[in-house]
Amino acid sequence: MHLLLTYTILGLVTGAVYGIAASGLVLTYTTSGIFNFAQGAMAMLAAFTYWQFRYGWNWPAPLALFTVLVVLAPLLGIFLYVFIMRGIRQTADVTKIVVTIGIMLGLIALAQWIWNPGVPRTDQLFFGNAAKFKFLGVYVTDHEAIALGCGVLIAVGIRLLFTSTRTGVAMRAVVDNPALLQLNGGRPERLAAFSWALGAALAALAGILITPISGGTLDVHVLTLLVLDSIAAAMFGRLRSIWLTFAGAIVLGLASTYVLGYFPESWEWASNFRIALPMIVLFVVLIVLPQDRLRGATLLRTRERFTVPTIRSAVTWGAILLVVVLALEQVMDSSDMGSLTVGIIYGIIALSLTLLTGYAGEINLAPVSFGAIATIIVFHLGLSGSGLTQRITLWGLILGIAVTAIVGGLIALPALRLRGLYLALATLAFGVFVSDMIIADIAPHVLPIFHLHYSIFPDGTLQIPALKIGPLDLSSSKTFLTTSTCIFVLIGIGLIALRRSNYGRRLTAMKDSPAAAATLGQNLIKLKLSVFMISAAIAGLGGVLLSSALVSVSDTTYIIFISLALVMLTVVGGIGNVAGALMGGILAGTAFQALTSTFTNLSTDRGGGGFWNVLANLSLVAPALIGVSLGRNPSGAVPQIVSSYRPLWQAKGVLLLGVMAEIVAYLLVLTKVMGNWWLVLATALIAIALPAVGRLVAPEAFLDPVKAPPAQQQPATTPVAVDIVVESVADARP
Amino acid sequence: MPVLEVSGVCVAFGGAQVLTEVSLTVAERGVTGLIGPNGAGKTTLFNVVSGLLAPKSGRVIIDGHDVTKAGPSRRARRGLSRTYQRLELFTSLTVRDNIKVAGEIRNTWGRRGRIDVGAETDHVIELVGLGDVADREVSELPTGRARVVEVARALMTQPKVLLLDEPASGQTEQETEAFGLLLRQLVDERGLAICLVEHDVGLVMGTCEHIHVLDYGEVIASGTPDQIKDDPAVISAYLGAP
Repeated sequence: MHLLLTYTILGLVTGAVYGIAASGLVLTYTTSGIFNFAQGAMAMLAAFTYWQFRYGWNWPAPLALFTVLVVLAPLLGIFLYVFIMRGIRQTADVTKIVVTIGIMLGLIALAQWIWNPGVPRTDQLFFGNAAKFKFLGVYVTDHEAIALGCGVLIAVGIRLLFTSTRTGVAMRAVVDNPALLQLNGGRPERLAAFSWALGAALAALAGILITPISGGTLDVHVLTLLVLDSIAAAMFGRLRSIWLTFAGAIVLGLASTYVLGYFPESWEWASNFRIALPMIVLFVVLIVLPQDRLRGATLLRTRERFTVPTIRSAVTWGAILLVVVLALEQVMDSSDMGSLTVGIIYGIIALSLTLLTGYAGEINLAPVSFGAIATIIVFHLGLSGSGLTQRITLWGLILGIAVTAIVGGLIALPALRLRGLYLALATLAFGVFVSDMIIADIAPHVLPIFHLHYSIFPDGTLQIPALKIGPLDLSSSKTFLTTSTCIFVLIGIGLIALRRSNYGRRLTAMKDSPAAAATLGQNLIKLKLSVFMISAAIAGLGGVLLSSALVSVSDTTYIIFISLALVMLTVVGGIGNVAGALMGGILAGTAFQALTSTFTNLSTDRGGGGFWNVLANLSLVAPALIGVSLGRNPSGAVPQIVSSYRPLWQAKGVLLLGVMAEIVAYLLVLTKVMGNWWLVLATALIAIALPAVGRLVAPEAFLDPVKAPPAQQQPATTPVAVDIVVESVADARP
Repeated sequence: MPVLEVSGVCVAFGGAQVLTEVSLTVAERGVTGLIGPNGAGKTTLFNVVSGLLAPKSGRVIIDGHDVTKAGPSRRARRGLSRTYQRLELFTSLTVRDNIKVAGEIRNTWGRRGRIDVGAETDHVIELVGLGDVADREVSELPTGRARVVEVARALMTQPKVLLLDEPASGQTEQETEAFGLLLRQLVDERGLAICLVEHDVGLVMGTCEHIHVLDYGEVIASGTPDQIKDDPAVISAYLGAP
């Protein structure tokens, strides 16, 4: 009884904190229609800031709390809304998701920059560990009582705000129809900004409360994920009801402490299970959510525009990519080649997103976790030989891909009847689950009946050898790079062919107007399931190649943040284009790492390298900044680059000159006159200079509107909008 | 014999009763009009019939099959097709591909009744007169032509019943006239049953054999165009009580 009460109180406290964070999520989602994936990172940043004030600078607790909760957090919320969120209305679900993911990754990088992760920091309970009182024979700390009180106050407060105040009612109206609210004298902008301020403050409060309860150690990733768990609670309330959200949070909190208290100690997996529990709950909640109404094109009309290349041009560009990589192989050392290989393999994983998100409009936030599944299958069932001659077999690879496709189908199935955001959340839950339970399963178990000793991820590190198919052995880094590039090119061409086939047209139809596709007789579930499985299979193939390229893989290889960064950078490159996937992959796998390590090396080599250190840290934050900038150009970078180069076809001389210059630079590097970095520099210069030179030499090509690329033309949405207004005015009841 | 039968359909949004005990039929080989002032519940009824909206009570029967519990795609397979008042075109596809993909969806239903999508697309494009814009992006079309694309797309699934939601709004007078002829042609040549929601009185009176009038979510009159024209309930619904 005594024990039960202890666990119940602990569970209630955890639940209250989840509820506080989740109600912030609900608040911002209701008023701005944006699901804030950065909620956890905001909580983490607040916890660190509070630590800095309270323990770093020894401020009194009330002052530190006031500064964080009432001043800084609301300011951050308002800043985010005004400068970022306002710009991403009218974009596809994936853009909205990716922008908040960008903020999350940015805040994480920022926190690591400011607070060196190597230095341990701990938070203490409010009023210290000694401040506690006896309640029904159980000790309750003051901190826990405060957390519970905050939870109750906030639940009641927000409920009252929503139902009994004019502001609250107007807030609920914002998401439905901001234009209508404005006509009725409401101020949607101000309301949304207010809700973001409040949401940020709630996140901050949750972060400050939970840190000491969960051990007191401040860790960037752990804290971010801890509050991310509150998504499950928000989903209980279907992102609407505050009561249900708090009820869900309490269930979540209690369940996790009861698991801790009552699962037998012989179940080694119980502690992993406890960590993974919120994500399991999230998944279960998604299964029981009622089906959404099908949405039509009016709601889905977005600013993203993609063009589909012909197969001939796809083949041409594929050949060009292959030639470039073959040329680079001649001048690169093997470690650079390895890094480029990783980039291109990330590109292969990103292709799974091009198909799923770019073509079909569905979202997978954990592509790398699917790669982890394929890797584990291959590790256990797909290797032959031993020691240095050990290789992945073709059948092992195929088995790994097939299992990943099936797992993908099983994960997606419950979420397919729901809106895109929910599938995204289901995949997120899966990704975190894979990290917490499957990859964390490192100790050997004994299988009950067969008395087999096994573990899914032995010792936490797997050695993945190279792939060998017949005479093709990928153990040399040059062969590996060439083969990876070939695989990328083949899948890329395959995807473009698929997009141009009747299957691809049906995917596009489903993406543009699910309602119309369904009333024409398309079984949406079947179509979504098939595309998700193909996409998971591609991610699985990429995952095995990735693990093999990295040779030794561990939990950090597949941590959810890697997946999120890849998704974000692929959207930045252009989610609707194969080239966008390549760009996203190279950025994720090669470019930023290279940049960071260059600057870090410079700072250690040159000594006193504060400046280089800043640059190194900046290049860690940079990807997130790019992601956040998506609001301005949601179609991604590749279409923009293409359209800035297109006029050059009219000035072939300039183009030829550029290619010649590039070849000369390459030859100089090949003959060791210049170093490799000069080639990178020269390429960048030529790339930037070409359109400018073209403008100078052949201005008519850039001016002639007839030759303007069709991608640049604004879609004629105006007639439709006008039509609706006219209808509603003309048909008013007499 | 009716191809589409709706009986006792009730729909409420929150506290507002949008459809009350709506029962009506659409006869085969003919054009049935569904008219009423704005907000009468016509589009809501279309959404119930096509399976996008579940009614609180009532039944929907297509071609003798009770489809009340079936989803939109199952109903399409029973022979239902529709257009939308607020255009639901596939905006990333060209006019031709918008029409073509509907035929390709049709061919996923099973072996029986598969169509030659390429030939049928060409045929339908010519039938509705979209040849001059077939390779344009749909987003470039004016609303009137875009509505014709929706009709062409709906025809590709070889439906028995076609629900048209204000197909003539945004069309010029000449376009509307040609559209009326097209509807008659579809009835005569393909034996289609068409249910037409429209505000253009000329088009409704000129093409419909039978008309249902909806007001405040209730059927207030049913009959031939001549009967409807003189019905006092209809006159008061449109012009207000005397």
